[in-house]
Amino acid sequence: MLPRHENSSSVSSEQVTEAYLKVIGLIDERVTPYLGKATTRALVQGAAQHIKAAYPFLEFLVYRSYTDIVPSVIHEQLSGVAPVQVVAGLNALLDECFAGLRELTGDLIAPPLHDEVTHQLKQLQ
Amino acid sequence: MESSVQSMSQTTDSAFRFSNGYTADRLISIRHEMEYLNTIGKEFVAAIDRFQVHRALLKALREIYSFSACCILLKDNTFEKESPFELFIIPCYPLDATFFESIIQRIASAASALNLIHTTADQLARTAYFDAPDDLALSRSQEEVVGSEIGSFLNIPLTVENRIIGMLSLFDEKMGTFDTDLFQMTTMIADYAAIALENVRLHERENALWRQAELERMRLSLIIGSMAEGLLITDAKGAITSLNTSAEQLLAQAQVNFSPDILLHKLAGTSNVQWISRLAEIVDQALAGYTVKNQELVAGQAEERVPLTLSISAAPLLDASGTSARPLGVVAVLNDITPSKQVEQLKDEFVSVVSHELRTPLTAIKGYTQHLVRRIERRLRKTRSSQLESSTAVNDLPENYDLRSLNIVQSQTEHLERLVNDLLDLSQVQWGQLQLRPETFYLADLLTDMVRSVQSSAEQHTISLQIKAKDTKIIADHARIAQVVGNILDNAVKYSPYGGQVIVRLKQQDGYYQVSISDQGLGVSPELFDHIFERFYRVHNTATQQLSGIGLGLYVAKAIIDRHGGRIWLSSNQGMGSTFHFTLPPSPPQ
Repeated sequence: MLPRHENSSSVSSEQVTEAYLKVIGLIDERVTPYLGKATTRALVQGAAQHIKAAYPFLEFLVYRSYTDIVPSVIHEQLSGVAPVQVVAGLNALLDECFAGLRELTGDLIAPPLHDEVTHQLKQLQ
Repeated sequence: MESSVQSMSQTTDSAFRFSNGYTADRLISIRHEMEYLNTIGKEFVAAIDRFQVHRALLKALREIYSFSACCILLKDNTFEKESPFELFIIPCYPLDATFFESIIQRIASAASALNLIHTTADQLARTAYFDAPDDLALSRSQEEVVGSEIGSFLNIPLTVENRIIGMLSLFDEKMGTFDTDLFQMTTMIADYAAIALENVRLHERENALWRQAELERMRLSLIIGSMAEGLLITDAKGAITSLNTSAEQLLAQAQVNFSPDILLHKLAGTSNVQWISRLAEIVDQALAGYTVKNQELVAGQAEERVPLTLSISAAPLLDASGTSARPLGVVAVLNDITPSKQVEQLKDEFVSVVSHELRTPLTAIKGYTQHLVRRIERRLRKTRSSQLESSTAVNDLPENYDLRSLNIVQSQTEHLERLVNDLLDLSQVQWGQLQLRPETFYLADLLTDMVRSVQSSAEQHTISLQIKAKDTKIIADHARIAQVVGNILDNAVKYSPYGGQVIVRLKQQDGYYQVSISDQGLGVSPELFDHIFERFYRVHNTATQQLSGIGLGLYVAKAIIDRHGGRIWLSSNQGMGSTFHFTLPPSPPQ
C-alpha cells in the first residue's frame, strides 16, 4: 500500500493528478529497459480497468494513454470530483499498477521500484 | 546447460581497460552476446510459420534458462477467428495437472494486468494449443519435477512498434530461475519473437487475401465465361485485351481474326469487313467517356436473308480511385439480335401479305357499296319526282334508311382502307421501297385543298391557313405530301376533342419550305418527342386512350419527308397543344 498524498484538501485535483502522473512516469522510466516502452501504458490502462467500478471518474485512463493526459484533459475529466476522492482513486491505480507488475515479473522489478515510488510520493507532498 | 552468456557476464573485470572504458573481458562478453543475438536473429528471420517461430524461441531460451513451460499468448483481432486470442503452450513432460492450472491462472491474471485480454482461466485453458517440437521437447524424469506449484515465472509483453500483440510467459517449479541478469536478454529474445510472429501473421493474412482474391477472380472468370452475351474489353488505346467465349463465337461468324492486342482501328484499315470500322467508332466514343447503348451493327453478309445483327453497348472503364479522368479501357457487351430481326422480318412480311390480301376484298366492297348507293339515290330521285302525284312522304321511305346504312358502310370501308394503306406504306418503308412520283405543283394550293377537305368534316374546329411565301412551286410527290399534311391535320383534329383553332403556316426559310401545323389539343410531353415518330408508337394516357389509331401515320409521314430530303419534328405550344413542323426542299434529292 502506497502512502496517500497528504494535504489533499489544500491542493486541486489537477495538481494531485499531475503529481501522480509524474510518479507513473518514473515507473515507466524504470520498467522500459526491461519490458519495453508500451508496458507501463498498458499496465495503467489495465489498472484503470480494474478500479473503474470503484472510481468511475478514472475510467478515461482505460481508453487514453497516460502520456496523453494534459492539464486540459484532467480539468475536463475530473471537474467536480473532490481532491480527496482523486487521491484515493489515483492511489488505488498505483497499487493496481504494482500488482500488475508483480503479475508480470514477480519480485524482479517491483520491490525496489515500490520503494523509489514511495520516496518520490513523500517528496511531492 | 547454463548459458555461455550468463557465465560470461559473471566473469570479473580485468584490470586493463580500453579507450572506451570497457575491460577486455567485458568486450569479449559483448562480442559473445552479439554473436548469440545474431544467431537467434537468423533463426527468427528464417521462420515462415508460427511453429518455426516457436522452435526458434524455445531454442534461444533454452540457451539461457532451464524451465518447465514456455507459453505464448497472442491477441487476434481478425474477425474470422472465433476467439480473440490464441494460447500456445510448450511444456516439459510429464506436466503436473495442478501446475498446469496454476500457469493458466497466472497467464490470465498477467494478461488482464496488461489490459491485453480479460478472460477466465477456464476459457483460456479451453483454447490452449500444446506444441512441442520433437527435437526440442523438454522431457525429464519424474524425479526432476520439484513440485506442482509455480516456483518462479516471467511474463514479458510481446511488442511490435510500441503495440502489445501478446505475451511470452516462462514458468518453472524451482525458485529463482529467472533473475535480473538475464532479464534484458530475455526481453530481446521476446522482441525478436514478437516481430517474427507479427511477420507470420501478416504473411498468413496476405495468403488469405490472395486466396480470396484468386477465388473472386475465378468466380468472375466463370461468370464472364458463362454469359450468353459477348463481352469485349479493350485497353486505353482501343486494342482488344480480352473476349469471352460468347464474343469469340459471335465474332468468329464474321470470319475476322480478333487476335489480342490488335488495335481495332488498325484492323478496320486492313480488313474489308465494313462493320469493324463502326465497332472501332463505338469503342472510340466510349474511350472519350461516353456510354453507348444498343447500337445495331450488321455483321453478317448482306446477301443473307437475315444477316447476323449485333446490338452493342459500350462503356468506359474508369479507374476506381477516380484519379485518372481518362478511361483505362472499354467494356463492350455484344448481343446477337438476329433472332429478333428474323421475327421482325416475318412480322413485316405477314403485315405486307395480309394488307395486300385485304385490299382486294376491300376494293370490291367499296365498289359494290358505291354501286348500291347510286342505285338507291336514283330510286329516291324517281320517287321525289312522283311525290307530287302521291301523298307518301319521301323521308319515310325504306330506301332512305338503306342509304344511311350504306353511307356508314362506305365510311367504315374508307377507314379500313386507310389502315390497310398505312400498313402497305409501312411495308414499303421497311423494305426501302417507298417510291416517289415527283411532279410540279404549288404547295400553297395543296395546303388550301387539304384545309378545306379536313374542315368539311371538323365542325367543332376552325382551321386557318397563313401563307408567308411568294412562290410556292415545288417538285414533290403530290399524293405523298398530301398524305403527310392530311395525317397531321387529322391528328390535330382528333387530339383536340373539345374543338379549337388549328393554324397551318407556310413560310420559306434557308431555301426550304417550312410547314407548321399548330393545334390547341391535348399536346405531347417533351420526353416523348423522340418516340412519337417511331412505328406503332402511341401516347398512352387517360386523355388519349379513347382515341383510335395504330401509331403508323407519323412513322410513314417521317419516312416520306426524309425521302424528300426534308425534316419533320414536333414542338410544344406554350400553354396547350402542339406544333408539327416539316421542311421540304424545292425539289427532292436525286
